[in-house]
Amino acid sequence: MTRLSDLPADQAKRLAELECPDFATRPWVGGPPLSTRRVAIVSSAGLVRRGENPFRGRDADYRAIPSDTRPEDLLISHISINFDRTGFQEDWNVVFPLDRLRDLAREGIIGSVADTHYSFMGATDPVQMETNASEVAGRLKQDGVDAAILPPV
Amino acid sequence: MSALGHYLEEEGIASVAISLIRPQTENTRPPRALWVPFELGRPFGPPGDAAFQKRVLLAALRLLERNDGPVLIEDSPDDDPRSRPDPAWRPPLPETEADGPPQVLAQRLEPEIASLRQAHARWRERHGYSTIGLSGFSPAEGGRYIAGWLRGEAPASPRKGYSAPLLLRFAIDDLKAYYLEAASGTGGKPSSRQLGDWFWNGTAAGAGLHALRAMYQGSDDDRLKLIAGNFTVPAARQNQPA
Repeated sequence: MTRLSDLPADQAKRLAELECPDFATRPWVGGPPLSTRRVAIVSSAGLVRRGENPFRGRDADYRAIPSDTRPEDLLISHISINFDRTGFQEDWNVVFPLDRLRDLAREGIIGSVADTHYSFMGATDPVQMETNASEVAGRLKQDGVDAAILPPV
Repeated sequence: MSALGHYLEEEGIASVAISLIRPQTENTRPPRALWVPFELGRPFGPPGDAAFQKRVLLAALRLLERNDGPVLIEDSPDDDPRSRPDPAWRPPLPETEADGPPQVLAQRLEPEIASLRQAHARWRERHGYSTIGLSGFSPAEGGRYIAGWLRGEAPASPRKGYSAPLLLRFAIDDLKAYYLEAASGTGGKPSSRQLGDWFWNGTAAGAGLHALRAMYQGSDDDRLKLIAGNFTVPAARQNQPA
Protein backbone atom coordinates (compact mmCIF):
# COMPACT_ATOMS: atom_id res chain seq x y z
CA MET A 1 0.00 0.00 0.00
CA THR A 2 1.22 3.49 -0.75
CA ARG A 3 -0.40 6.54 0.68
CA LEU A 4 0.86 10.06 1.11
CA SER A 5 2.24 9.04 4.49
CA ASP A 6 4.58 6.63 2.68
CA LEU A 7 6.17 9.37 0.58
CA PRO A 8 9.03 11.66 1.60
CA ALA A 9 7.55 14.40 3.78
CA ASP A 10 8.40 17.23 1.38
CA GLN A 11 6.88 15.44 -1.59
CA ALA A 12 3.74 14.47 0.34
CA LYS A 13 3.27 18.04 1.55
CA ARG A 14 3.75 19.44 -1.94
CA LEU A 15 1.24 17.00 -3.44
CA ALA A 16 -1.35 17.46 -0.72
CA GLU A 17 -1.13 21.23 -0.84
CA LEU A 18 -0.93 21.62 -4.60
CA GLU A 19 -3.08 24.51 -5.66
CA CYS A 20 -6.24 23.23 -7.34
CA PRO A 21 -8.73 25.19 -9.42
CA ASP A 22 -11.64 26.62 -7.48
CA PHE A 23 -14.55 26.03 -9.84
CA ALA A 24 -17.63 28.17 -9.51
CA THR A 25 -19.92 25.51 -10.96
CA ARG A 26 -20.48 21.84 -10.14
CA PRO A 27 -21.49 20.17 -13.40
CA TRP A 28 -23.11 16.75 -13.27
CA VAL A 29 -24.06 14.84 -16.39
CA GLY A 30 -26.27 11.80 -16.05
CA GLY A 31 -26.76 9.18 -18.67
CA PRO A 32 -28.10 5.78 -19.61
CA PRO A 33 -27.22 2.52 -17.83
CA LEU A 34 -23.57 1.50 -17.95
CA SER A 35 -24.47 -1.42 -20.20
CA THR A 36 -25.22 0.99 -23.05
CA ARG A 37 -22.46 3.53 -22.46
CA ARG A 38 -19.59 4.11 -24.86
CA VAL A 39 -16.47 4.68 -22.77
CA ALA A 40 -13.19 6.48 -23.52
CA ILE A 41 -9.99 6.83 -21.52
CA VAL A 42 -8.80 10.40 -20.95
CA SER A 43 -5.46 9.96 -19.22
CA SER A 44 -3.21 12.56 -17.64
CA ALA A 45 -0.12 10.34 -17.80
CA GLY A 46 1.58 12.22 -20.63
CA LEU A 47 1.06 9.26 -22.95
CA VAL A 48 2.34 9.49 -26.50
CA ARG A 49 2.48 7.05 -29.34
CA ARG A 50 5.97 5.93 -30.33
CA GLY A 51 7.42 8.40 -32.78
CA GLU A 52 5.10 11.23 -31.73
CA ASN A 53 6.41 14.42 -30.21
CA PRO A 54 6.71 13.75 -26.45
CA PHE A 55 5.40 16.19 -23.86
CA ARG A 56 8.38 18.44 -23.14
CA GLY A 57 7.25 20.50 -20.19
CA ARG A 58 4.02 21.63 -18.66
CA ASP A 59 2.31 21.46 -22.05
CA ALA A 60 -1.44 22.06 -22.14
CA ASP A 61 -2.13 20.15 -25.34
CA TYR A 62 -3.08 16.50 -25.69
CA ARG A 63 -2.45 13.41 -27.77
CA ALA A 64 -5.04 11.18 -29.43
CA ILE A 65 -4.59 7.44 -28.97
CA PRO A 66 -6.58 5.29 -31.40
CA SER A 67 -8.07 2.09 -29.99
CA ASP A 68 -5.94 -0.03 -32.32
CA THR A 69 -2.72 1.26 -30.68
CA ARG A 70 -0.55 -1.63 -29.50
CA PRO A 71 1.13 -1.72 -26.07
CA GLU A 72 4.56 -1.56 -27.71
CA ASP A 73 3.61 1.75 -29.28
CA LEU A 74 2.57 3.65 -26.15
CA LEU A 75 5.13 5.57 -24.09
CA ILE A 76 4.94 7.76 -20.99
CA SER A 77 6.48 11.22 -21.39
CA HIS A 78 5.07 12.76 -18.20
CA ILE A 79 7.55 15.26 -16.80
CA SER A 80 7.45 13.93 -13.24
CA ILE A 81 9.91 11.20 -12.29
CA ASN A 82 8.29 10.77 -8.89
CA PHE A 83 5.96 7.93 -9.76
CA ASP A 84 6.45 4.27 -10.53
CA ARG A 85 6.82 3.33 -14.19
CA THR A 86 7.63 -0.34 -13.75
CA GLY A 87 3.95 -1.26 -13.50
CA PHE A 88 3.26 0.37 -16.88
CA GLN A 89 6.35 -1.26 -18.36
CA GLU A 90 5.03 -4.67 -17.42
CA ASP A 91 1.36 -4.09 -18.25
CA TRP A 92 -0.05 -0.97 -19.85
CA ASN A 93 -3.45 -1.62 -18.26
CA VAL A 94 -2.00 -0.36 -14.98
CA VAL A 95 -2.16 3.14 -16.52
CA PHE A 96 -4.18 2.75 -19.70
CA PRO A 97 -6.85 0.08 -19.11
CA LEU A 98 -7.84 -0.48 -22.72
CA ASP A 99 -7.82 -4.28 -22.46
CA ARG A 100 -9.99 -4.09 -19.32
CA LEU A 101 -12.49 -1.83 -21.10
CA ARG A 102 -12.61 -4.37 -23.91
CA ASP A 103 -13.24 -7.12 -21.33
CA LEU A 104 -16.15 -5.14 -19.89
CA ALA A 105 -17.59 -4.50 -23.36
CA ARG A 106 -17.27 -8.19 -24.27
CA GLU A 107 -19.13 -9.11 -21.08
CA GLY A 108 -21.86 -6.60 -21.81
CA ILE A 109 -21.12 -4.60 -18.66
CA ILE A 110 -20.42 -1.48 -20.73
CA GLY A 111 -21.87 -0.82 -24.16
CA SER A 112 -18.72 -0.25 -26.20
CA VAL A 113 -15.20 1.15 -26.25
CA ALA A 114 -14.42 4.46 -27.96
CA ASP A 115 -12.50 4.50 -31.21
CA THR A 116 -10.07 7.08 -29.83
CA HIS A 117 -8.70 7.86 -26.37
CA TYR A 118 -6.74 10.90 -25.18
CA SER A 119 -3.87 11.90 -22.96
CA PHE A 120 -2.88 15.15 -21.32
CA MET A 121 0.23 15.83 -19.22
CA GLY A 122 -1.07 15.99 -15.69
CA ALA A 123 1.55 18.29 -14.16
CA THR A 124 0.24 21.16 -16.27
CA ASP A 125 -1.87 23.84 -14.61
CA PRO A 126 -5.41 22.52 -15.24
CA VAL A 127 -6.70 26.00 -16.07
CA GLN A 128 -4.38 26.02 -19.09
CA MET A 129 -5.99 22.81 -20.34
CA GLU A 130 -9.57 24.08 -20.44
CA THR A 131 -9.68 24.95 -24.14
CA ASN A 132 -8.09 21.68 -25.14
CA ALA A 133 -10.35 19.73 -22.80
CA SER A 134 -13.35 21.31 -24.51
CA GLU A 135 -11.91 20.28 -27.87
CA VAL A 136 -11.50 16.71 -26.62
CA ALA A 137 -15.11 16.76 -25.40
CA GLY A 138 -16.17 17.69 -28.93
CA ARG A 139 -14.16 14.84 -30.41
CA LEU A 140 -15.60 12.42 -27.86
CA LYS A 141 -19.13 13.45 -28.83
CA GLN A 142 -18.33 12.87 -32.49
CA ASP A 143 -17.25 9.36 -31.50
CA GLY A 144 -20.55 8.81 -29.67
CA VAL A 145 -18.82 8.65 -26.28
CA ASP A 146 -20.97 9.33 -23.24
CA ALA A 147 -18.59 8.34 -20.43
CA ALA A 148 -14.92 9.06 -19.75
CA ILE A 149 -12.64 7.35 -17.26
CA LEU A 150 -9.84 9.68 -16.13
CA PRO A 151 -6.74 7.93 -14.77
CA PRO A 152 -3.78 9.95 -13.45
CA VAL A 153 -0.32 8.67 -12.62
CA MET B 1 -6.39 14.89 -12.87
CA SER B 2 -9.81 15.55 -11.47
CA ALA B 3 -10.06 19.01 -13.12
CA LEU B 4 -10.37 17.38 -16.54
CA GLY B 5 -13.57 15.76 -15.32
CA HIS B 6 -14.98 19.18 -14.54
CA TYR B 7 -14.18 20.49 -18.02
CA LEU B 8 -15.54 17.42 -19.82
CA GLU B 9 -18.68 17.46 -17.74
CA GLU B 10 -19.21 21.16 -18.53
CA GLU B 11 -19.28 20.07 -22.17
CA GLY B 12 -21.77 17.27 -21.54
CA ILE B 13 -19.51 14.23 -21.18
CA ALA B 14 -20.06 12.25 -17.98
CA SER B 15 -16.79 11.42 -16.27
CA VAL B 16 -15.26 9.57 -13.38
CA ALA B 17 -11.70 10.15 -12.20
CA ILE B 18 -9.31 7.80 -10.49
CA SER B 19 -7.73 9.60 -7.55
CA LEU B 20 -4.26 8.73 -6.26
CA ILE B 21 -3.91 11.80 -4.05
CA ARG B 22 -7.10 12.20 -2.08
CA PRO B 23 -6.46 15.74 -0.74
CA GLN B 24 -6.07 17.05 -4.30
CA THR B 25 -9.35 15.43 -5.31
CA GLU B 26 -11.10 16.79 -2.24
CA ASN B 27 -9.89 20.28 -3.19
CA THR B 28 -10.82 20.02 -6.85
CA ARG B 29 -14.21 18.43 -6.13
CA PRO B 30 -14.76 16.69 -9.49
CA PRO B 31 -18.17 15.25 -10.35
CA ARG B 32 -17.09 11.70 -9.47
CA ALA B 33 -13.86 10.07 -8.32
CA LEU B 34 -12.68 6.76 -6.94
CA TRP B 35 -9.69 7.07 -4.61
CA VAL B 36 -7.33 4.09 -4.77
CA PRO B 37 -4.66 3.29 -2.17
CA PHE B 38 -2.00 2.44 -4.75
CA GLU B 39 1.41 3.91 -5.33
CA LEU B 40 1.76 6.82 -7.72
CA GLY B 41 2.00 5.50 -11.27
CA ARG B 42 -0.39 2.59 -10.72
CA PRO B 43 -3.96 3.91 -10.90
CA PHE B 44 -5.34 0.44 -11.62
CA GLY B 45 -3.07 -1.43 -9.22
CA PRO B 46 -0.98 -4.51 -9.94
CA PRO B 47 0.47 -5.28 -13.35
CA GLY B 48 -0.57 -8.64 -14.79
CA ASP B 49 -3.67 -8.99 -12.61
CA ALA B 50 -6.58 -8.47 -14.98
CA ALA B 51 -9.24 -9.43 -12.42
CA PHE B 52 -7.96 -6.87 -9.91
CA GLN B 53 -7.68 -4.12 -12.54
CA LYS B 54 -11.19 -4.86 -13.76
CA ARG B 55 -12.60 -4.60 -10.23
CA VAL B 56 -11.05 -1.15 -9.84
CA LEU B 57 -12.20 0.02 -13.27
CA LEU B 58 -15.72 -1.25 -12.72
CA ALA B 59 -15.95 0.28 -9.23
CA ALA B 60 -15.12 3.62 -10.84
CA LEU B 61 -17.53 3.22 -13.75
CA ARG B 62 -20.35 2.18 -11.41
CA LEU B 63 -20.22 5.70 -9.95
CA LEU B 64 -21.67 6.84 -13.28
CA GLU B 65 -24.90 5.08 -12.33
CA ARG B 66 -25.29 6.93 -9.04
CA ASN B 67 -27.48 9.98 -8.82
CA ASP B 68 -26.39 11.36 -5.45
CA GLY B 69 -23.81 13.84 -6.69
CA PRO B 70 -22.09 16.10 -7.34
CA VAL B 71 -19.62 15.57 -5.68
CA LEU B 72 -18.99 11.82 -5.32
CA ILE B 73 -15.65 10.63 -3.90
CA GLU B 74 -15.54 6.97 -2.94
CA ASP B 75 -12.65 4.84 -1.65
CA SER B 76 -11.44 1.60 -3.18
CA PRO B 77 -10.94 -0.96 -0.42
CA ASP B 78 -8.30 -3.25 -1.94
CA ASP B 79 -4.56 -2.83 -1.53
CA ASP B 80 -2.19 -3.61 -4.37
CA PRO B 81 -0.78 -7.11 -3.72
CA ARG B 82 2.22 -6.30 -5.92
CA SER B 83 3.37 -3.64 -3.48
CA ARG B 84 4.77 -6.48 -1.35
CA PRO B 85 8.34 -7.61 -2.11
CA ASP B 86 8.95 -10.96 -3.78
CA PRO B 87 11.65 -12.71 -1.73
CA ALA B 88 12.40 -15.03 -4.66
CA TRP B 89 13.28 -12.20 -7.05
CA ARG B 90 16.94 -11.79 -7.94
CA PRO B 91 18.52 -8.79 -9.70
CA PRO B 92 20.01 -9.34 -13.14
CA LEU B 93 23.47 -8.34 -11.95
CA PRO B 94 25.02 -8.57 -8.52
CA GLU B 95 24.98 -5.24 -6.74
CA THR B 96 28.13 -3.31 -7.46
CA GLU B 97 29.74 -0.44 -5.66
CA ALA B 98 27.34 2.36 -6.48
CA ASP B 99 29.73 5.17 -5.82
CA GLY B 100 32.74 6.87 -7.25
CA PRO B 101 33.78 9.99 -9.14
CA PRO B 102 31.76 10.82 -12.27
CA GLN B 103 34.65 9.92 -14.60
CA VAL B 104 34.83 6.43 -13.13
CA LEU B 105 31.05 5.99 -13.22
CA ALA B 106 31.11 7.02 -16.89
CA GLN B 107 33.69 4.29 -17.56
CA ARG B 108 31.60 1.70 -15.75
CA LEU B 109 28.27 2.67 -17.30
CA GLU B 110 28.77 1.42 -20.85
CA PRO B 111 29.99 -2.09 -19.91
CA GLU B 112 27.23 -2.33 -17.32
CA ILE B 113 24.64 -1.58 -20.02
CA ALA B 114 26.20 -4.24 -22.25
CA SER B 115 26.12 -6.79 -19.43
CA LEU B 116 22.35 -6.36 -19.11
CA ARG B 117 21.72 -7.18 -22.76
CA GLN B 118 20.71 -10.79 -22.11
CA ALA B 119 18.42 -9.91 -19.22
CA HIS B 120 16.75 -7.28 -21.37
CA ALA B 121 16.38 -9.75 -24.22
CA ARG B 122 14.54 -12.04 -21.79
CA TRP B 123 12.22 -9.17 -20.96
CA ARG B 124 11.48 -8.63 -24.65
CA GLU B 125 10.91 -12.35 -25.08
CA ARG B 126 8.40 -12.43 -22.22
CA HIS B 127 6.55 -9.23 -23.08
CA GLY B 128 7.10 -8.80 -26.80
CA TYR B 129 7.97 -5.14 -26.45
CA SER B 130 9.96 -2.51 -24.58
CA THR B 131 8.95 0.93 -23.33
CA ILE B 132 12.30 2.42 -24.34
CA GLY B 133 11.87 5.01 -27.05
CA LEU B 134 11.63 8.65 -25.98
CA SER B 135 15.22 9.56 -26.84
CA GLY B 136 15.57 7.65 -30.09
CA PHE B 137 18.81 6.15 -28.75
CA SER B 138 19.59 2.46 -28.45
CA PRO B 139 20.61 1.56 -24.88
CA ALA B 140 24.29 1.61 -25.90
CA GLU B 141 23.95 4.98 -27.63
CA GLY B 142 22.07 6.40 -24.67
CA GLY B 143 24.77 5.14 -22.34
CA ARG B 144 27.45 6.87 -24.41
CA TYR B 145 25.46 10.11 -24.38
CA ILE B 146 24.97 10.04 -20.60
CA ALA B 147 28.61 9.06 -20.07
CA GLY B 148 29.59 12.14 -22.07
CA TRP B 149 27.68 14.32 -19.62
CA LEU B 150 29.33 12.51 -16.70
CA ARG B 151 32.71 13.33 -18.22
CA GLY B 152 31.73 16.98 -18.38
CA GLU B 153 31.80 17.05 -22.18
CA ALA B 154 28.27 18.53 -22.61
CA PRO B 155 27.69 16.48 -25.77
CA ALA B 156 25.63 18.12 -28.50
CA SER B 157 22.20 16.76 -29.31
CA PRO B 158 22.26 14.58 -32.42
CA ARG B 159 18.47 14.81 -32.67
CA LYS B 160 16.94 17.66 -34.61
CA GLY B 161 14.47 19.73 -32.58
CA TYR B 162 15.76 18.43 -29.25
CA SER B 163 18.11 20.55 -27.18
CA ALA B 164 21.00 18.72 -25.54
CA PRO B 165 19.47 19.00 -22.01
CA LEU B 166 16.06 17.79 -23.26
CA LEU B 167 17.68 14.83 -24.96
CA LEU B 168 19.57 14.11 -21.73
CA ARG B 169 16.21 13.95 -19.93
CA PHE B 170 14.79 11.46 -22.42
CA ALA B 171 18.03 9.44 -22.46
CA ILE B 172 17.77 9.17 -18.66
CA ASP B 173 14.13 8.01 -18.91
CA ASP B 174 15.17 5.37 -21.43
CA LEU B 175 18.17 4.29 -19.33
CA LYS B 176 15.90 3.67 -16.34
CA ALA B 177 13.42 1.80 -18.53
CA TYR B 178 16.21 -0.43 -19.87
CA TYR B 179 17.57 -1.30 -16.43
CA LEU B 180 14.19 -1.82 -14.80
CA GLU B 181 12.87 -3.92 -17.66
CA ALA B 182 16.05 -6.02 -17.53
CA ALA B 183 15.57 -6.37 -13.78
CA SER B 184 11.98 -7.55 -14.26
CA GLY B 185 13.12 -9.96 -16.97
CA THR B 186 14.69 -12.27 -14.41
CA GLY B 187 11.30 -13.60 -13.36
CA GLY B 188 9.32 -13.32 -10.17
CA LYS B 189 7.07 -10.46 -9.19
CA PRO B 190 9.32 -7.81 -7.69
CA SER B 191 7.80 -4.73 -6.11
CA SER B 192 8.77 -1.36 -7.53
CA ARG B 193 10.72 -0.71 -4.34
CA GLN B 194 12.83 -3.84 -4.86
CA LEU B 195 13.61 -2.80 -8.41
CA GLY B 196 14.38 0.75 -7.33
CA ASP B 197 16.61 -0.37 -4.45
CA TRP B 198 18.71 -2.36 -6.87
CA PHE B 199 18.90 0.40 -9.48
CA TRP B 200 19.67 3.25 -7.10
CA ASN B 201 21.87 1.41 -4.61
CA GLY B 202 23.53 -1.29 -6.67
CA THR B 203 24.35 -0.02 -10.15
CA ALA B 204 26.78 2.41 -11.74
CA ALA B 205 23.81 3.86 -13.64
CA GLY B 206 21.97 4.82 -10.45
CA ALA B 207 25.15 6.28 -8.98
CA GLY B 208 25.77 8.08 -12.28
CA LEU B 209 22.39 9.80 -12.09
CA HIS B 210 23.13 10.95 -8.54
CA ALA B 211 26.44 12.28 -9.86
CA LEU B 212 24.78 14.08 -12.78
CA ARG B 213 22.38 15.76 -10.38
CA ALA B 214 25.23 16.94 -8.21
CA MET B 215 27.28 18.12 -11.20
CA TYR B 216 24.65 20.16 -12.99
CA GLN B 217 21.97 21.30 -10.54
CA GLY B 218 23.96 24.47 -10.02
CA SER B 219 24.59 24.99 -13.74
CA ASP B 220 24.38 28.45 -15.31
CA ASP B 221 22.33 26.89 -18.11
CA ASP B 222 18.77 27.08 -16.80
CA ARG B 223 17.57 24.15 -18.90
CA LEU B 224 20.41 21.93 -17.73
CA LYS B 225 19.87 23.04 -14.15
CA LEU B 226 16.18 22.11 -14.45
CA ILE B 227 16.93 18.70 -15.96
CA ALA B 228 19.56 17.91 -13.33
CA GLY B 229 17.41 19.03 -10.43
CA ASN B 230 14.09 17.55 -11.50
CA PHE B 231 14.69 14.74 -13.98
CA THR B 232 17.57 12.66 -12.70
CA VAL B 233 16.87 11.31 -9.20
CA PRO B 234 13.32 10.98 -7.81
CA ALA B 235 12.50 12.78 -4.58
CA ALA B 236 12.23 9.50 -2.71
CA ARG B 237 15.85 8.65 -3.58
CA GLN B 238 17.50 12.03 -3.22
CA ASN B 239 18.33 11.51 0.43
CA GLN B 240 19.83 8.12 -0.20
CA PRO B 241 22.94 8.96 -2.22
CA ALA B 242 24.82 5.94 -3.39
